[in-house]
Amino acid sequence: MARTEDIPEPTRTAAANIPCPTFDTTPFVTGPALAQRRVAIVSSAALIRRGDVPFPFGSGEYRAVPGSWRADEILMSHVSINFDRAGFQRDINVVFPIDRLRELAADGVIGSVADTHFTMMGSTDPVAMVESADGIASALLADRCDAVVLAPV
Amino acid sequence: MAHMLEERGLPTTVLALVEAQVKKTRPPRAVMVPFMLGRPLGEPNDAAFQRRVLLQALRLLERADGPVLLEHFPDDNPSWFDRPGWEPSVTLPTPGAQSHAADWERALRAELGAVLPGWERFKARFGRTTVGLAGQPPEAWPGFAASFLDGALPTVPPHDTPALALRFLADDLKALYGEAVQADGGPPSARQIDQWFWRRTVAGQLLIALRGVALTSENNALKTVGGRFFVPVPYLPG
Repeated sequence: MARTEDIPEPTRTAAANIPCPTFDTTPFVTGPALAQRRVAIVSSAALIRRGDVPFPFGSGEYRAVPGSWRADEILMSHVSINFDRAGFQRDINVVFPIDRLRELAADGVIGSVADTHFTMMGSTDPVAMVESADGIASALLADRCDAVVLAPV
Repeated sequence: MAHMLEERGLPTTVLALVEAQVKKTRPPRAVMVPFMLGRPLGEPNDAAFQRRVLLQALRLLERADGPVLLEHFPDDNPSWFDRPGWEPSVTLPTPGAQSHAADWERALRAELGAVLPGWERFKARFGRTTVGLAGQPPEAWPGFAASFLDGALPTVPPHDTPALALRFLADDLKALYGEAVQADGGPPSARQIDQWFWRRTVAGQLLIALRGVALTSENNALKTVGGRFFVPVPYLPG
């Protein structure tokens, strides 16, 4: 965990007390061996391509991050100023581990990497993200993905 | 989101930075990582470290004994800690007093002149920059930002409002300085970068001044955005 004492206020209190949805059941979808999985990333960092309009404040929307985008085209438009950007500045993989997935695919550890990944803006009411979940899931299933790495910032 | 995707037929695994959230939401699979917010893979430019993190999360997908599968990643990321003796390689000019918008504009322009070479070195070294949200190049920033001190409310595409135009200019300003100061040698910690920016640069002081202007603005969007999204709480004026 991010160590509580190292998270500045008010993020510390907000993180500890953040209203989270509760679920009566926990779905659990299994699949083939990792070496046969097609893996996608879903990032909460509100990633955009240079020149695109940033995510609106409070938006529950999602956007595609095609694997064809170069690292130097991808910017972070997340509203929060209370998390680190310096790591992302040096290396996109610390937020969006696209190169690591490609290496794992090349090594045969995973089967393949999705053509398109997805991003939303964290710190947003999960209810506002239901439609986004529908859209992301439909697209990833159409791309025959059977593994999703969620990387919240 | 993990619950929602899994309900729609997709196996998920989470790199979780905030334990309290994991304990409340209980996603199907998560590795709880001891890294700072903003770095779910832990260590920049350390492929082996990132691979370990990612593999631990992916391996949870092979287990059939869930839900819920929660593990801890065992190691801190090395660059969490301050780099002893670190001093910025960027030498800043000594600013004069800033009492008017024109003073701020002049001081920021002079400071940017000292910072830009570091930014160019950063881009050459790392092959990228995260500057690009403002909708205008760095040479336009001093005049645009300082005009808010005089009560102007300009905007610039693609931003719809002055509040967002200034907010994303602030993001670009922080990014450009952050990148410039990471251009050479071993990287400082995130905290060292923040302390340098907010306590030692004209840019940081200007953002603090702009926050003050925003808070008294009759433009409600600017008031809200400036109050909450310009200056992190640890660096707010006493």
